[in-house]
This record gives sequence, C-alpha cells and structure tokens, in this order.
Amino acid sequence: MTATTATPAWLLQPELGLCPCGCIGKRRKGSFVEKTIGGGAALMRQALFSDDTASAHGLLQRVEPRVKLATVFGLLIAAALVRHVPVLLAMYAATLMLAVASGLSLSFFVKRVWLFIPIFTGIVVLPATFSFITPGHVVVPLGTWFGHHVGLTSQGLTAAALIVTRVAVSISLVVLLTLTTPWNRLLGALRALFVPRMFVLVLGMAYRYLFHLLTTVTDMYTARKARTVGTDVDVTSGRRFVAASAGALFGKSHALAEEVHMAMVSRGYTGEVRTLEPARVGPRDVLWAVACVAAAFVALGGDRALGR
Amino acid sequence: MHIPDGYLSPETCGTLGAAMVPVWTVAARRVRKVVKSRYVPLLAVGAAYCFLIMMFNIPIPDGTTAHAAGAVLVAVLLGPEAAVIAVSVALAIQALFFGDGGVLAFGANAFNMAFVMPLTGYAVYRLVSRGTSLTSRRRALAAGLGGYVGLNAAALCAAIEFGLQPTLFHRADGTPLYAPFHLSHTIPAMMLAHLLVAGVIEAVLTAGVVSYLQRANVPLLRINHKAVAESDDDLPPPTRLRWRWAVVGLGVMALLTPLGLIAPGTAFGEDAPQDLDLRKYHLDAVPEGLRRYAGFWHHTLFDGYGFRNDANPTVGYLVSAFVGIAVIVLAIAAFFGLRRLVRRVSSA
Repeated sequence: MTATTATPAWLLQPELGLCPCGCIGKRRKGSFVEKTIGGGAALMRQALFSDDTASAHGLLQRVEPRVKLATVFGLLIAAALVRHVPVLLAMYAATLMLAVASGLSLSFFVKRVWLFIPIFTGIVVLPATFSFITPGHVVVPLGTWFGHHVGLTSQGLTAAALIVTRVAVSISLVVLLTLTTPWNRLLGALRALFVPRMFVLVLGMAYRYLFHLLTTVTDMYTARKARTVGTDVDVTSGRRFVAASAGALFGKSHALAEEVHMAMVSRGYTGEVRTLEPARVGPRDVLWAVACVAAAFVALGGDRALGR
Repeated sequence: MHIPDGYLSPETCGTLGAAMVPVWTVAARRVRKVVKSRYVPLLAVGAAYCFLIMMFNIPIPDGTTAHAAGAVLVAVLLGPEAAVIAVSVALAIQALFFGDGGVLAFGANAFNMAFVMPLTGYAVYRLVSRGTSLTSRRRALAAGLGGYVGLNAAALCAAIEFGLQPTLFHRADGTPLYAPFHLSHTIPAMMLAHLLVAGVIEAVLTAGVVSYLQRANVPLLRINHKAVAESDDDLPPPTRLRWRWAVVGLGVMALLTPLGLIAPGTAFGEDAPQDLDLRKYHLDAVPEGLRRYAGFWHHTLFDGYGFRNDANPTVGYLVSAFVGIAVIVLAIAAFFGLRRLVRRVSSA
C-alpha cells in the first residue's frame, strides 16, 4: 500500500456526534445503542490504523513476520521472568526506541499502551501496597491499628511497580507486533509457533468475517437509533432488543457460514487446508533474531546480577 | 475477565496452555466428525460471532451498560466442542490484533473462558433442560442459569489463578512478583462482582437469545438439538422415577456407616461440650443451653452409639446402626400398613 491509498485522517478520528463523554455540549451517559455503534467504529478504526502503520517503511516492518512473532514471544517470556523494576524500565525504553525506529508516533504509541490496562492495573494493585495485604518493611507509616504499625511497605510498593511496568512492557511488545505486521502475514507467521494449519485458517476467516458481521451489527443499531426519538432509557425493552439482535445475528452468521462453505466447495475445497506461507528468512532477519536473543539474555543476566 | 500479560507467572501460563492442548485436540476432532468439511467456515463464523457478542452493550438499570462473554450461549447454539474452538479463536483475535488479554496469558484465558465456562455452563443447561421441549420456557431459563454458573465458574478459576501467584512466586523478602493479592482477597473480590452483576447480565443475554430464537427461528436451535421434541405436545410421556432408587441410595448410605468408626472426636461436642476445642476459634465459652442439656437424658438403649460402659465400641456402634435402621424400617412399614388397612376399611 502506498501513501496515496492510506486511510484519510478524518476517517480515523472518533466521530464527534457519537462521543459518549459529551465533548461537545452537555455531558451525558451514552445509551447502549450509541456505545455499541461507537465500539464497532473503534474496532474498525483500530484495524484500519494497523493496516496503515504496517505498510510504512520502518525497522520492524522489514523483519520477516515469522521471525518477528517468535522473537516477540521470546521477549515476552523474558519480561515475564524479570524480577527487578529497573530492568523492566530499560526494556520499556527499548520498546519506545523500536516504536520510533518503526515510524510510529511516540505520543500515539504511549497513549495506546498506557490508556486503560496499565492505569487500571495501577488502581487495582493500589491496596496491595498497604501492610494489610503485603506485610513487610513499612516505609511510609500511617499510624497504628490495634497495636500494629500500618503503612505502605517496601515490598508492596515494589510489587505494584513490578506489575505495572511488566504489564506496560508486555503490551508495548504486542502492540509493536500488531502495528508493524499486516494481519494476513501475522496469521501465516503463527505457523512458526506450531499452531496447527487448521487453526490458522479458522483464525484468518474469523478475522475476515468479523468485519462483515460487524457491519450487520452496526446497521441494526443504526436503524434502532434512527427509529428512536429522544433517549433510549427503557432497560427492559433495551435488553429485549439486544437479545433479539444477537439472535438475528446468529441467524445471519449461520447463513453466512453455509454460503461460505458452498463457495469453498465450488472452488475445489476438499477439506485440505492451505495457508499463506511467509516469505524467506534473510540475513537481516537473522541479525534481528540474534539481537533479540542477546537483548533477552542481557535483561535476564542484569536481573540476576541485581539479586534474586 | 481477560487477563493481560504480566499478571500471571510464565509457569502458570505455560501449565494452563499445556492443559488446553488436549482440550483443543479432542474438540477439533469431534467437531470435524460431526460437521465434516463444513467445520472450517462454521467455526470461523462462530468465532466472529463470539467476538461480536462480547461487543454488545447491554443496558443495566443505573443507566450504564455492561457486556457478556457469550461462551455458554455459543455452547447452547453450536455445541460445547464448537464453543471451545470458537471462543478460543475469538480470544486469539482479541489478544493478537486488539491487545485485549495477554498473548502469554492466552492459555490461561482460554482455560477460563473457552473451556471451564462453556463446559460447566452447558452441563448445567443440559441438567436443567432435561426432558423439556425445544420451545419450552424452562429451556430458556436453563440456558440463562447455565450462563450464570458458567461465568462464575470461569471467574472463580481466574480468581484462583491470581490468588496463587503471591504464594508461589515471590522474592526472598516476600515481594510478590506477579499479581499481589492472596486467595482470601481475590476470591471474594472476583466472586462478589460476578455473582451479583456480571453473572446476571450473562444470564439475561443467554436466556434472552434462546427465548428469541424459540419465538422467531426454531430451526437455528435445531443445529445443536437434533432429536429434541419441538413443542410440549410432542414430548413422550415422562418416565416415573421408581421408588426402588430411593432404597438403593439409602442402602449405599447404610453400607457406609462404618466410616463413622474412623472419624476422630465427637459430633459437634453434642454430649461432651468440653471436647469442643473452642480456643482454636478464639472463643472461650460453651453456650449455656449446650452445657445444661448435654447431660440431660442418658436413659437410652445405646447411650453414645455403644453398649453400657463402652464395652466393645466397634460392635456396639455397628449394632446400634443396625438397630436404628431396623426401627426406622419398621416404623415406615407400620405407617404404610396402617394406611392400607385404613383404606381397605373405608372402601369396604
């Protein structure tokens, strides 16, 4: 894909009228209809955006997908085995550098990684910093409770920092992989992780028909929105509509599966599964793999040097 | 309930992933046997459907919305084996392309949501909907109950996985390396949310879709219910449960009576309150009533399930069991004999 066929910027913008936080006008809660339409649009936006970034010319885009998937998987395991926050921070800095080298906007990359999951994790692990949950050496005393000294413990704070940085590094690695690899190439690369061919085929078709069925859902909900005057507040009728639309979607999905099957058979499908085989592994890919293995060993070695 | 990477140790993820391999193999083989070459598009579209079900926002009374997981619904519609594969594929797409749920944690997520959830939910659904027609109300309710139980079983598994982390994986100074909360925190926190809110939403959606298909599109329910009668009129007459089964159950229990011989201590300190080790529970008082009535009546044939002065305790225990059973059987026989006599007299 060249720059002229890239998705225009206005299509990747969240639609103002659908924004449930009410950035224009009065703040109000979005109804379930608007939220579902918004969710569908966000999904589409994310997929379109990945397609664009994957076709850019950056460092990671040039690495062969099989090698990239295997190395990212290895780095994920290394990040999971690391036991010290400074090592995880160094790994996070390395993912930021990789993002820049792959032509991704840094602010976008940071936002995409941190928004929601690591921040959510931080809130969830907050109680674990107290001595009630993680006993240990109290560093920030908060008084006494029935004769026990309570406060924030060094163990609790380290545990919270560990999990937040670990989650951030893991998500950064996966986002890097997703944003720099076209989805069909990524699926073919799954064969490198010994995923059976049948699963790869099912996964690819599921991804393809996901967007087809998503259009159906968006149509149903847009029609509902068009028929509704004012706000949709009745919970019971709302639930009936959700159940009915999910049931109708199942009918359409099943009909689609039948049609797809007939189309496959008429094109000579006999039950034997073929998938797109990835390209050859070149010297650049070997270099990348060696660099990743070395990085993983440096991370784990540095971690060991900091103590158990 | 999608567990991101970093919450679980790689050991946990590896174990659960390895546990899923035979599940996937068996499920794939069974689906292939039933639907032949049609399985690829069926599973692919089923997986896409699963993915989209998780996107449906369901209104809940306070004006906000929530979403369901849908695994039990897919199990009811396409069968449990197809649900295992379809939900796994949907989870893989979410993890790989949309960053929802971890890539390393994929095995754990699949174990909770693609294995435990559809299978327990489907088992409950089968049990409750047994003997009902395809369009009966109980079948829709059974699907809802299946969704509720399935989601909570999955949440319990996730809570146990989280809760085991600080016990199994920590530094020498006690710093937890992964999720920091213990089982005593994770289980109440996860179960409260899922038993009260998420489970109810799952039940509403699952029952709602089944009841919609019962009204609007019964042939779609036929996909996984080939031999079920369509309406209540087509049902075969119900087979009555024979009373002999009750006797079999009671007989098994009677045969198990010697188990009481190996149990240590007394039952709840019923005749010796001092045997209750209340200190263990930080209690230091025997209830007044228990103290007063413990020695109230000792004029029985087999005091304390044995002979007088505890001679031959084993024989005494068994004899008292036999005598007890015999007395109860005689009492029941006397009741039915008397009833028959009364009926005969009144009809004559």
